[in-house]
Amino acid sequence: MALDPGVLAELESIVGREHVRHREGEVAPYARDATPLFSSPPDAVVFPARTEEVAAVLRLATAHRVPVVPRGAGSNLCAATVPLQGGILLVLTRMDRVLEISTEELLVRAEPGATTATVAEAAAAQGLLFAPDPGSRTVSTVGGNVATCAGGLRGLKYGVTRNYVLGLEVVLPTGEVIRTGGRLWKDVAGYDLTRLLTGSEGTLGVITEVTLALLPMPATASTGVAYFSSLADAGRAVTQVLAHGVVPATLEFLDHTCIGAVEDYARLGLRTDAGALLLFGDDGEPDAVERNLTRMGELCADEGALEVTVAKEVAQSEALLAARRCSLPALSRLDTLTVLEDVTVPRPRLAEMVDRIEAVAARHDLVIGTFGHAGDGNLHPTAVIDARDPAAADRTHAAFAEIFAAALELDGTITGEHGVGAAKLPYLRDRLGDDQMALLARIKTAFDPAGILNPGKTGS
Amino acid sequence: MTAEASGATDAPGAAGAASRGIFPPELLDRCISCGFCLPACPTYALSKDEKSSPRGRITLMRALETGVLEDDDPTLREESSFCLGCRACEPVCPAGVQYGELLEHWRSHQWQGRRRPPLARVLTNVVVRNWLVRRLGTFRGHARTAATSPQGPHLMLGCFERALFPAVSRAARRLRPELDAPGDQGCCGALHAHNGDLELGRTMARRLGDQLPGTIVTTAGGCAAHLAGVLGRDRVKEFSEYVAGDGSASFGELRVDGRRARVALQDSCHLRNGMDVWREPRELIAAVADYVELPGAAQCCGSAGTYSLLRPRDSRRVLAPKLDQIEAAGVDYVVAVNPGCQRQLVTGLRRRRSRVRVLHLTELLAAAQDGGLPRRRLRLGARPGRRAEVPADEAAGMAAHLNDRPLPDDPGAAGAGRPDALDGSAGPDEVHRS
Repeated sequence: MALDPGVLAELESIVGREHVRHREGEVAPYARDATPLFSSPPDAVVFPARTEEVAAVLRLATAHRVPVVPRGAGSNLCAATVPLQGGILLVLTRMDRVLEISTEELLVRAEPGATTATVAEAAAAQGLLFAPDPGSRTVSTVGGNVATCAGGLRGLKYGVTRNYVLGLEVVLPTGEVIRTGGRLWKDVAGYDLTRLLTGSEGTLGVITEVTLALLPMPATASTGVAYFSSLADAGRAVTQVLAHGVVPATLEFLDHTCIGAVEDYARLGLRTDAGALLLFGDDGEPDAVERNLTRMGELCADEGALEVTVAKEVAQSEALLAARRCSLPALSRLDTLTVLEDVTVPRPRLAEMVDRIEAVAARHDLVIGTFGHAGDGNLHPTAVIDARDPAAADRTHAAFAEIFAAALELDGTITGEHGVGAAKLPYLRDRLGDDQMALLARIKTAFDPAGILNPGKTGS
Repeated sequence: MTAEASGATDAPGAAGAASRGIFPPELLDRCISCGFCLPACPTYALSKDEKSSPRGRITLMRALETGVLEDDDPTLREESSFCLGCRACEPVCPAGVQYGELLEHWRSHQWQGRRRPPLARVLTNVVVRNWLVRRLGTFRGHARTAATSPQGPHLMLGCFERALFPAVSRAARRLRPELDAPGDQGCCGALHAHNGDLELGRTMARRLGDQLPGTIVTTAGGCAAHLAGVLGRDRVKEFSEYVAGDGSASFGELRVDGRRARVALQDSCHLRNGMDVWREPRELIAAVADYVELPGAAQCCGSAGTYSLLRPRDSRRVLAPKLDQIEAAGVDYVVAVNPGCQRQLVTGLRRRRSRVRVLHLTELLAAAQDGGLPRRRLRLGARPGRRAEVPADEAAGMAAHLNDRPLPDDPGAAGAGRPDALDGSAGPDEVHRS
C-alpha cells in the first residue's frame, strides 16, 4: 500500500523534505527491529524534531486513517516497532536532547530519542544514578525504554523503568498534547496515566518528553562469580541468597551453552566446563558491599558451588556485566537464527522452570541456551537454529508454546521485560483472559478512536 | 514468534526467499539486527538514519541478495559509497559479523563497470600495474634494497605510500636494517578490494605474496589487514607489531624545547578493527615520548582509503571533531600508522594552520633514535590567506596536491576527484632526503 501523494507532500511540509524517506531502498532498513522473523517495510519514514511536528503528523494520519508506528533505536525484541500494516514510521532519534538534570529534585528531563547511556552518563556527571539498565543501553532510547517498560540487570534491587517514570509528555493519536505526572513523587490526581502509558508499546500515544527519577550514585560496586554443576543448583543458591535477607543489585545467570558462547566472544577466562554461572553483585557503601558479596559467596559455596571468585577491581566487574549483556548476540554465533524468549516466574520456582525448559528442549531436539535475571525470576531461553531448516522453525514454535504454557502454570508470565509487540500477541489472551483483553481494547479505543497507532499490536 | 510470522524473515535462503549468490550466505546470516553497532558507526553518527548504519546496510544487502531491491536502486548505490569501510562495527559486534568482507562483496557487485566511481577506477587502474607503481616512487627516494632474501622479513613499500611518504620506508629501514625492500614489488590490492574489485584485490595480494616470500612487514594498517586476510595472519606483521614483538625496542627519547615530546596517536581502523593491533603503537610511542590518548583515537579520521577523494565533504565532516581533539590535547605530534590517515591529518591540520605536526610511527621512532627531527625548511604559514604556499614538509607537499581541490557541489558526486590529481602526486617538486 503506497502512501497517498497528498499525504506524503503534507508530511514533507510538516517536518521538511529532508526528514521524510519514502523510496523503496530508503524504507527497507526500517522493515525490522531486533526481533527475528518479523519484517514489513513502512511506506514512509518520518523524523520529527519537535512535539508540534509529532502532533501535526498524528493529526494528518488520523484524518487519513494512515497507520503510524513510533520508533526509537529499534532495539526491542518483540517486534513492537515493525510496521506490520505499512504506513508511517515515526522515528524519534532527532529528538535526542537531555533537557535538564536537577540535583535538587533528583530527576532528569529528556527528549525520547536520547539513548539510555547518554542519559545515564549525563546523570553520572552530576553524581547521580539512572538505575534502569537494559542490555541494549548503549543503543536503546529512553523513549523506547519507557514505551516498553524496559528491565535490565538491576531489576531486583532497583526495579524497572516504570519505577522511575515521574512524568511524560505524550501526543495522542488525535493530535492533543498531554502532560501526565510531572516532577512530583506524590501525585494521585486522576488515573495514573503515566503508568498506563509506560509499557504501552506505542499503541496509545507518542512519547515526546520523559521526566525520570534519579538516585544518588552508589559509592562503589562490585561483582562476583560462582560456578555450579547445574542450573538447578544455581537456582537453589539464588533462593538461599534472597532468603537470607540480601537484596543484591545484580543476580544473573548463564547456563552451560551461554557460558561457552560468551567466553568465545569476550575471552574473560570463564569456566566453560561448568553447568551454570551465577553473577552476583552489589553497590553502595564499600563495607556493606564487601559484606554482602562475602555473604553471597558463602551461601553459593553452601549450595555446592564449584568455585566462587570476587572481581578485584571495577574494570573486572564491568567486564563481567558487559559479558552478561552480550549473551544474546554471542549465542547467535552458534547458528543462523536466534529466537529469544522472556518468560518470568516467581523466584522460588526458578529452578523448576529451568528444568521444564531443559525438558522441552530435549523433547523437541533443539539447542536452547538459557540466561537471565535470577534475582527476579526472569529467564531468557534462546533457541539457536538453522534458518534454512523449516522443520527446526516448526519445532521452535512448538517448544516455545510449551514453555509459555509452563510459565503460566507456575504462576509466571509470557514476557517479563521484552514486551508483547507482535511477537507475543497470540499468547496474550492466555495470560490476561477474555475480560482483560476486552478492557484493553476499550482503553485502546478511548486513546485512539481511529486505530492508527501501531495497529496489529496490543489493544487492536 | 508466531504463526503470523510466516515467511517474514528477511534472511536470504530462509524458506521461500530467493538468493542471488552475491554474498557468502554464512557471512550475511551472522547479523541478528541487535543494533549494538549503531553507536560505533561514524556515518550513523552523522545521519542518525538506519540506512547509514551497519545493521541497516546489512538489511539493504539482504534486500539486494533476495532481489527485493534492484542493482540500480539509488539507496544501495549511495549507502555502499557513504560507508567509510572503517570496520568499527566489527569489534563491538557480539555476533561476530565480518562487516568489512560483506562490504567488499557488496561493492564488487554494486560498482561493476560504469557504476564504479570514475576516480576509483583511475586509481585502481594505475596501481594494478607494477611498472607504474615503481614509477610512482621513482623520484621520491623511498627505501630500497637490491636483494630479496628468501624468507624475509621484507618491508612492503606500498603503492601510494612510496610516492606520498617516502620518508616512512627510509625511517623503517634505519630502525630495522635487516628488512629488505625490493623496489620492484607491486601493490597489495587493498585499494581494489575496497573499491569494488575484490577478486583482483585478492589476486594482487597473492602476487605480492609471491614477490615477497615469508614475512611481510608493512607500515600501512590498511594494507596489513588486507594482506593478512588473503595470505594468512601469520605472514603479515604491521611495523609496530614487528618491532614490539622482538622485545629489544630501544629508541632513545624525543625532546621538544628541552622537555619530552607530547605525542598522540590516530589508530588505523583496519589495523585496530581488523587485526586487533592498537596496544603496540601506543607502547612504542610511550617509550620515546609522553603518550597522550585522544578521546577518539580509535575512530575513523575520514581518510578511509579513497573515501577522502571520492566523498571529500563527508570525509571532512568525519575529520572535523578529531582535529578539534588534536588541537585541544596540547600535543607536539600526532602519529599515524597508515599513509591514508597520515595524509588526511596532514591536510586537515594544515588547513587549520595548526602547530601540531603529523608523523608516521617509523618517523617518530627514527627521530628519537637520531636525536631529533630533521629541520623543517619552511615554517607553516603564519599569515592567513596563503593557502597555496609551499608546505613545510614533504608529506604535506604531496598531500596538498590531492586535497586542495575545489569541492563539488554534490558531496556524493562520484567524479568528485580529478583523475589528474595523480600527476601532482608523482611530481618531483618536493624531493627531500633526510
